[in-house]
Amino acid sequence: MIKFNEKLMQFFSSLFFGSENQRSYKRLRIMLYLAMIVIFLTPLILATGLSVREYSKLLVQQEREQLSWNAMGSRKTIEAFVHELRALVAFVASEHTYDELLDQGTASKLFVDLKEHYNGFVDLGVIDPDGIQRVYAGPFRLKNYDYSGQDWYDKVLADRIYVSDVFMGFRKIPHFVVAVSKKMPDREEYWVLRLSINYDTLQQYIATISTEASHDVFLLNHDGILQTKSHMFGDVLEEFALFSRPKKGEISMNEQSYEGVKFLEACVYIENTPWILGFIKKSYIHGEKWNSFRYRQRLILFGCGALALVVIVQLVSIITGQLQEADEKRNAVMTEAEHTDKLASIGRLAAGVAHEINNPLAIINQKAGLMTDLLEMSNEFQYKDKFGKSIDGIQNAVERCKVITHRLLGFARRMDSALEHIDINALLGEVLGFLEKEALYNHIRFELNLDDDLLTVYSDRGQLQQIFLNIINNGIDAIGKDGTMTITSARRDEANIHVLINDTGPGIPPNVMKRIFDPFFTTKKAGKGTGLGLSITYGLATKLGGNITVESEEGKGTLFTVILPINPKKREGSFHG
Amino acid sequence: MDKIKILIVDDEVEFAEALAERMEIRGFLMETVNSGADALAAIGSTCFPDVVLLDLKMPDMSGFEVLTVIKEKYPSIEVIMLTGHGAASGGSDSMKKGAFDFIMKPVDFKDLIEKIQDAYQKKISTSS
Repeated sequence: MIKFNEKLMQFFSSLFFGSENQRSYKRLRIMLYLAMIVIFLTPLILATGLSVREYSKLLVQQEREQLSWNAMGSRKTIEAFVHELRALVAFVASEHTYDELLDQGTASKLFVDLKEHYNGFVDLGVIDPDGIQRVYAGPFRLKNYDYSGQDWYDKVLADRIYVSDVFMGFRKIPHFVVAVSKKMPDREEYWVLRLSINYDTLQQYIATISTEASHDVFLLNHDGILQTKSHMFGDVLEEFALFSRPKKGEISMNEQSYEGVKFLEACVYIENTPWILGFIKKSYIHGEKWNSFRYRQRLILFGCGALALVVIVQLVSIITGQLQEADEKRNAVMTEAEHTDKLASIGRLAAGVAHEINNPLAIINQKAGLMTDLLEMSNEFQYKDKFGKSIDGIQNAVERCKVITHRLLGFARRMDSALEHIDINALLGEVLGFLEKEALYNHIRFELNLDDDLLTVYSDRGQLQQIFLNIINNGIDAIGKDGTMTITSARRDEANIHVLINDTGPGIPPNVMKRIFDPFFTTKKAGKGTGLGLSITYGLATKLGGNITVESEEGKGTLFTVILPINPKKREGSFHG
Repeated sequence: MDKIKILIVDDEVEFAEALAERMEIRGFLMETVNSGADALAAIGSTCFPDVVLLDLKMPDMSGFEVLTVIKEKYPSIEVIMLTGHGAASGGSDSMKKGAFDFIMKPVDFKDLIEKIQDAYQKKISTSS
């Protein structure tokens, strides 16, 4: 498990930072973009897909239910219409005897009365028990036609009342029949009252129940022959191509496809008729709601996607920027730490060297001194003057070496922290002693304007040296070649000593001036400066209870003023930090 | 006036002898030893110095240790520390332990003579 975790970490490390240990920010940025896009957009896309699927299912369910309600409602309407026709025919047959209806005048009057009541009636016929139409009222010449062989005639004798399919018959026009059979008063035979109804009537009736919920409504018989016209599947009496019988009493619903068009088909039996009611709903989810939903959903998807991308770009930019900044700071701190280590090592080395040189120097010094003493006591001899001058030369050389070793020891002492009374003018002299060669090579002249009556300050020698060394060094860097650095010491108020260091460099632009004491801020080229020099200098000055101010004018130069308290108030963490 | 008796304690033999010779020329009564142990053995038995010039850094006993013993046993003897090392704390610490002063090598001879005379004056005034 631990090995797996290690391998996983190695994988991500190589993925984000490259195969080498050095961080590749471009690669990191790309990987972060990809990772965040996947993290942000995957749930969004999944949620969108899921909502499309679920809403689509909901809409389908809703439309199926709507179609089902429509089919049921329409079935009841048609059943009521048929029931009314059956009741009417039954009523006429019961209100009139067979003999009365055999009278042509009565039958014709009755037909006229019925047609006034319902215009869809085509004709009326009275058929005797042998199947011969004895009386006929209507536009065709069908009196004495024999119906005994016809299907509907047999059905009406069997069922007493019957509604037929739509058929052509003797009239050669599509129509259907509502007929009732009545027993003869004196024998076990049946006569039949038959009313023919125009197919158009049925078609118009179907047209009235066509709703927005469906694209096509029609009637079929039990053999799948269209009883009314269908917009999609053909004219009346044509065969319905996709016919399948529904279950009795139920609405059967099927998803069908016809000539490349998908649709939902609903079928239900009409009671007491040979008919099946058919409903067709095309592309059922393409409703207004669906389109509106899809539109809003796309808007949300693309809106959120665009927002997520903006956030990702900003976030990745911030993360990689901060990472890069942190790396740069870490590197600068490492560089500074290395630098400090080097300085400390040099300090220790310098102290050791100075000590080792001081002892033989002391011997040379005393031996030379002894020689001088002896020379003074001895009588005149040849070359006595020359000896004396040579010994003076040795002592001068020792004095020079002494200055150097004491300077080295002074440098080493900067590592220690101790408070003492310090002559600022002398300290400035020591610091300039370190830098005079560099200034000389760069044709930079030091102009000293020191107040001889300055009081000593009670402070840390090493830290003060570092403050002045940093500022003067920066000034030398700023001037480059050929210039002047004026160093002034003065007591401008009771409590403080002011040291003014004014260079004739190019000056500091206002935007740089704002950040001059910020840690890690540098205008030097990479590797040339850590951006910590002036920050540390400022920190040291404030720790010693003082302050540093800067004034600069572009093209003219810069003035650093170091303000040092003569007797600083001791603060916690000060001086010995 | 009695001659000022001075003991130089320094492991650098050449330095100690040259310095002693120069000071003898100027009327001081000089003794030299080259280790802390020798110094402690001599003081009180063969040598009774007014002022001790004591090197801070020596191989066997450090100047601090010798100074501590001298000031414990013979508080009237004044000690001037000699140091070739740069640590300022060395000088100030030795003064806390009772040294009269300290002086950096290579020694400024005039300065040293003045400090010895000051130390002797202090010894006399303390004794009387």
